[in-house]
Amino acid sequence: MPPIIRTENLTKRFGNFTAVDHLNLEVNEGEILGLLGPNGAGKTTTILMLATVIRPTEGTAYVGGYDVRKNPDKVRELLGVAFQEPKLLWVSTPWDVVNWHAKVCGLSTQERKRRVREVLEALDMWDYRHRSVHALSGGMRKRVEIAKVLIQRPKIAIVDEPTAQIDIVGKHKIWRMLRELREEGTTIILATNELYEADVLSDRVGIMHRGKLLVCDTPQKLKDSIVGGDIVEIQFESDPSPKIVEELEHFREVVKIIKTKASTLRLYLNRVEEVVPKIMSTLMKEGVAVSSIRMSEPSLDDVFAHYTGLTLEEAQKEGG
Amino acid sequence: MKRRRKREAKTTRKLLYVVERDVRLFFQYKVMVIMRAIWFVSQIAFFGLIASRMVAVEDYFRYYVGGLSIMTLYSAAIFIGFDIYEEAEHGVFEYLLSLPVTRRQLVLGRSIGGGLRAFIYVGPLVCISLYVIGIVNPLNFLLALFSLFLFAFGVSGMSITLAVVIKSSDRFDILMGVLDALIVRLSTAMYPLSFVKEANPLYGWIANFNPVTFAADLFRWGAGIEAALSFENPLLPFLGIVMFFAFFTFLGIILYDKTIEGGGWR
Ligand SMILES: Nc1ncnc2c1ncn2[C@@H]1O[C@H](COP(=O)(O)OP(=O)(O)OP(=O)(O)O)[C@@H](O)[C@H]1O
Ligand SMILES: [Mg+2]
Repeated sequence: MPPIIRTENLTKRFGNFTAVDHLNLEVNEGEILGLLGPNGAGKTTTILMLATVIRPTEGTAYVGGYDVRKNPDKVRELLGVAFQEPKLLWVSTPWDVVNWHAKVCGLSTQERKRRVREVLEALDMWDYRHRSVHALSGGMRKRVEIAKVLIQRPKIAIVDEPTAQIDIVGKHKIWRMLRELREEGTTIILATNELYEADVLSDRVGIMHRGKLLVCDTPQKLKDSIVGGDIVEIQFESDPSPKIVEELEHFREVVKIIKTKASTLRLYLNRVEEVVPKIMSTLMKEGVAVSSIRMSEPSLDDVFAHYTGLTLEEAQKEGG
Repeated sequence: MKRRRKREAKTTRKLLYVVERDVRLFFQYKVMVIMRAIWFVSQIAFFGLIASRMVAVEDYFRYYVGGLSIMTLYSAAIFIGFDIYEEAEHGVFEYLLSLPVTRRQLVLGRSIGGGLRAFIYVGPLVCISLYVIGIVNPLNFLLALFSLFLFAFGVSGMSITLAVVIKSSDRFDILMGVLDALIVRLSTAMYPLSFVKEANPLYGWIANFNPVTFAADLFRWGAGIEAALSFENPLLPFLGIVMFFAFFTFLGIILYDKTIEGGGWR
């Protein structure tokens, strides 16, 4: 089956700044594709081009077989977008917002009434439906924004940071509803900054950075792909000496060592099960007291850090 | 055949939803709606009554009420352009552009919505004032109303077109002020054409081709305010309004189709 969305050197420049740079991305029918990337990576700009809201400067995209440049009307028939910034502030209530949306998207009266109620109730917004949108909290506004797409059930749903500002219970509800939407056959593009969200929801994840797509694969394959993908965190009784660090660096399997806290080292390495006993015996020989040792699988955080070159440690270092 | 009709029905329905949104939006600005109504009434009750005493034109009070109706309709129909900036600022514009609605449906729906809401708003005010000054000629009046309807669409289409072209709310604001001064002052909204010509032939020439003049004259003709009409034949201003309406609706559609996109608005 050909991909339902395919971008071909999709590019957007604002002045001489390139927000999206020759992006080539494919989305398969019925999947949830997570689009990850740091702030300013170009996720929203990409989405707006797919939704025919802004025009590509170069290249194009095919959505459901239609070229966004040549057949934007056909493309929009297939799409539903939940925006990053809730688009509600035209002086009315959540009820008006979602109802009007459902009408314009062509739902029959009966279906509209049923789904509006269903979705607003599921998102705990039913009791607030007649409040002014100005009086809603940030998270409530986001709920109304995502409700539009959940009610519409388009062939392709594009959701831009759907759970930002939403509390944890709400997040889980929305994730469940997005999965249900996918089970009904909707293809979903999920742009997010939340690695956990991308990990639990996505069938495949694409990582964008500075307008480019760096990788795109299943979360598991991405995790497996990083060299030094296993992680061991060793907490020492006292600050480890440079000599110890040097000795650890000598192991062939150890790819990288980062000092996360005063007395903690994080080792990125391969073949964790073989190396850890060797490491332990070295440390014992040196008489270094270890208070804890923790092994972990790489998370999408590590994949993200690996491909974008951005790490939490760097941020902490810069901040501190 | 059947499928085509079904598609057309769907298209029309979408257009109506766009219209509906703009009409409802307008009446949510309750303060503005009330202030404008107060303005309209006080213009008639104070300015009209007082000024007509010092103006030598025959039946100037009724003449003025006719013109004022058009001016109010104009400023209500212009309002849609400001809505567009408001929406650009809040990003609602991008939402509208992402909907399963064609650009044509969107811009046509909005011109109609912008005109219709102005008409719904001004209509009752006008009817009440005409009733008060005593006018009865139902058939002509209906035709005049219809032309007002088209005039309102035309103004609203013009406002949308300019908003889309200018893309800066400050500049739009200034231009609208200037345009209001020119298009209303150089028309027969407030004074008969003969005086405008007398003041300056160029003024007269502009007023002669001004849609506000067409609307004001046609409306006076329909309402039976026969004194000091600019045109012998009401068909001329009627055609003028139709052309005005067609021009801006068409231009709006083309601009919307070709140039409009979200992002980058101030
Ligand atoms: N209308 C615009 N005019 C100029 N620059 C823009 C415009 N829209 C976006 N940009 C720039 O393009 C880049 C990509 O922005 P975009 O919103 O796509 O990022 P993003 O990946 O969605 O980021 P975030 O995680 O913060 O939402 C940014 O540097 C932004 O400043
Ligand atoms: Mg974004």
